[in-house]
Amino acid sequence: MKQSRKAKILLACFMITSLMLNTGCGRQVAEISNKHYVALITKSTDSAFWKSVYAGANAAGTEYNLNITCNGPSAEEDYTTQNMMIKNAVANGAEALVFSAVDYEANAEAINEAANQGVKIISIDSDVNSDKVSAHISTNNYQAGKMAGKAVIESGEKVLNIGIVNYAVNAENGQQREQGFRDRVKNDKRTTIISTINVPSTTEDAKAATMEMLKLHPEINVIATFNEWTSLGVGWAVKNMNLADKTMVVAFDSNVISVGMLETGEVDALVVQNPYAMGYLGVEAAYKIINGQEIENTDIDTETTLITRENMFDQDCQRILFAFD
Amino acid sequence: MRVKMGKKKNTRVSLPMVTTLLVIGMVLITLIGALFVFMSVYRDSVTQNAVTNSEQAVTQVYNTVSNYTEDMDEIMIKIQESYQKPTAERADFLDALMHVRSDVVSITTYSQTGRLQECWANDYTLKDRPVENLSYIKDLVHSGERYYISEPHVETLLVNYYPWVVTMARQIERSDGSDIWVAMDIRFSEIANYVDNVGIGQHGYCFIVDEDGSIIYHPQQQLIFSGLKKEDTSSIAKLEDGTITDGNVIYSIKTLNNSAWRVVGISFVDEMITSKIDEVLRSLAILLFMVLIVAVFSSLILSYAISSPIHKLVLAMGEFEQNAIEFSHQSIHGTAEIHALSDSFGHMVVQIQGLMEQVKEEQVSLRKTELKALQAQINPHFLYNTLDAIGWLCEEERNRDAVEMVNALAKLFRISISKGHELITIEQELQHAESYLKIEKFRYKNQFVYSFDVDNTCLPYLCNKITLQPIIENAIYHGLNRMVDEGEIKIVIKEDGDDVVFSVEDNGIGMTQEQCEELLGKEAKDRTGIGIKNVNDRIKIYFGEKYGLQITSELDEGTKVTIRMPKIKEGTYETK
Repeated sequence: MKQSRKAKILLACFMITSLMLNTGCGRQVAEISNKHYVALITKSTDSAFWKSVYAGANAAGTEYNLNITCNGPSAEEDYTTQNMMIKNAVANGAEALVFSAVDYEANAEAINEAANQGVKIISIDSDVNSDKVSAHISTNNYQAGKMAGKAVIESGEKVLNIGIVNYAVNAENGQQREQGFRDRVKNDKRTTIISTINVPSTTEDAKAATMEMLKLHPEINVIATFNEWTSLGVGWAVKNMNLADKTMVVAFDSNVISVGMLETGEVDALVVQNPYAMGYLGVEAAYKIINGQEIENTDIDTETTLITRENMFDQDCQRILFAFD
Repeated sequence: MRVKMGKKKNTRVSLPMVTTLLVIGMVLITLIGALFVFMSVYRDSVTQNAVTNSEQAVTQVYNTVSNYTEDMDEIMIKIQESYQKPTAERADFLDALMHVRSDVVSITTYSQTGRLQECWANDYTLKDRPVENLSYIKDLVHSGERYYISEPHVETLLVNYYPWVVTMARQIERSDGSDIWVAMDIRFSEIANYVDNVGIGQHGYCFIVDEDGSIIYHPQQQLIFSGLKKEDTSSIAKLEDGTITDGNVIYSIKTLNNSAWRVVGISFVDEMITSKIDEVLRSLAILLFMVLIVAVFSSLILSYAISSPIHKLVLAMGEFEQNAIEFSHQSIHGTAEIHALSDSFGHMVVQIQGLMEQVKEEQVSLRKTELKALQAQINPHFLYNTLDAIGWLCEEERNRDAVEMVNALAKLFRISISKGHELITIEQELQHAESYLKIEKFRYKNQFVYSFDVDNTCLPYLCNKITLQPIIENAIYHGLNRMVDEGEIKIVIKEDGDDVVFSVEDNGIGMTQEQCEELLGKEAKDRTGIGIKNVNDRIKIYFGEKYGLQITSELDEGTKVTIRMPKIKEGTYETK
């Protein structure tokens, strides 16, 4: 009787100690895997635009204590590489993808696959054709196009013979910008849209095509173009043909070169998006979704700013135009 | 009775329950108390820790920024010194400086009228017509100060190169006595990156404001300028240097010595403390749970050790209550106190049992003495009437009858006395009854007949003396006396297992149920009644409750009295 009682007490003590040890170990393991992994996959990596997106994403990653990776294909049309990157990120244990689609349709399958494995999808800048996207953060492209149109109308030119240099027809955001631009300028009596060309999204292609367009239609005195690379192409074309004073160029996005051109007059206005905010808000949304928090707005517009030679060095504009390296 | 008591016990709280609840309660109170104390101490220390962290972070940024500006001051002094040297030598020095210090973006000089004179910018070329020159701030130059540090701005003087810089400018006296302004643009990104990487707690950060509260550098300035985030810089501008805890936000502020810049650190008490306290609470909850289990276990064991022997003792006492005479106490094992209690109880039981036995014996002997005294009384009426009847017989010269009567009377008295013994043989008792019947029959002039039906094997057994006589007396006086017809008394004695059964039956007027009960009841009204009750009492005292008289009677039919006694032979009574 007494012995069995002693045995019981010993057993209880043993159980309690082992319980304590167990819970202690459990906690440590939990802490190691505490950092969430969010993968950011963009259309390309080397433009100032995407660098700014990365900066914003990293800022949010630091703030929310996340593990962030930034990736993108080298060419902005390469959706195959992008799909590969999605797969890799999922295989590496990404809990959320912050994604900017090269192609609205061609990326859909890979995104759906990732979503089916429980990865949360947040699209930034360019959306993808999938209902698995939890939140979309981008410039309101139509409004941005209208902003470009407004800059043209308020320029004070007597006639507006407009040439449009846009990139891929199947890039959704470019088409929306163009539509916004057209809708803003079409009611003005001075407006004639002389020519619209679509070029591959590289500086060289845009430059060549623009020069051709200008040779073909010398009456063009306004050129609108809708992304960073076509903006540079148009700027170089205008510079090469010495048309800086004669031609008004409304371009999109900023980098060192296009800002230089804005200063020297080849480019007259820049519609600047807020890529930093896209990156930041994209990662913030990912953090909230991973942690099961509500996000009030699943379709977030980031602001655009119109920068001209006059306001480019204003305190606020400086901060939008020029990133800290 | 027993069942009832058991139920009563169950509704009361038992000792193990009390001790268990007590231990659990005490453990809970202690733990919760300890938890509260711990929590408040912990909260204080974590808050203190958070404040310290915040202060340290701000101090680091402060040191970095001041080192940086001091460093730049030194360079500026060297540049100033170089203006005392020949132009060529100065140009070489500045070229070398530009190469060594990669964080210096450009050095420009301006005439008193503000015209750009010279520019060193490494490999970058100066713009032909800069749209704006943010490095030369006319307002500051004309303010009378000889020295200024600008807000961060973009370098505007170089072709296709737009780094963020801070301009440090100084008015310098050249060797020829004229004054010029030298502006040095220093790359700001190093400070910016440094500030970016300062984190306080999980979400805390540092930023730099000027004395008016406008932001010099903020890690999230792009979010703030695009309206996605808000920083309440105007209220921060009002705060003194030091650390202020406002709600769950800790502000740590330090103003740089050589400029109007202030380093602000913001961290959040809530997240630092709440998450940690959650952690602590979780582990404490586990601890609490385990301690509770241990407490329950140990209190169960403890209470079992204490209460089990007590429970045994309680059971023993209950048993003793139920059956005091036959109870025998087994000593109970347990602690010394329990053992002492058990021993005392054992002694008490033995003593009580002894006392009970003594009382019982005294009671019995008292009753026996009383009864003997009662028996010894001779009914004076009976004796007078009998002697009167004998007298009449002698007067009528019926000598034979007189002799018989005298003999019967003599036998009656001899057996009545029977040397003071209470128990006599049934045979003697029968002789006694018969003598009595003879006398009575004579006295009543043969108004009744009587008969004996006796099993002879019963004769040697013992019975109380004067058992039948009071019953026969009752039958004659109350049953037959008032009858018109001839009465009959039938006496039967036979065996019934281990018992002997006597029955006296008459065919008299009978009695009601109440009368029968009255006869054996406490207070009998006349002498014969007392006699019958006496018989019953004596049998019960001598042989126990299950023996004694039983009366069945029916009005106008007769009465039957049955007496049951155990079979007892001479010498065996004492052993029973």
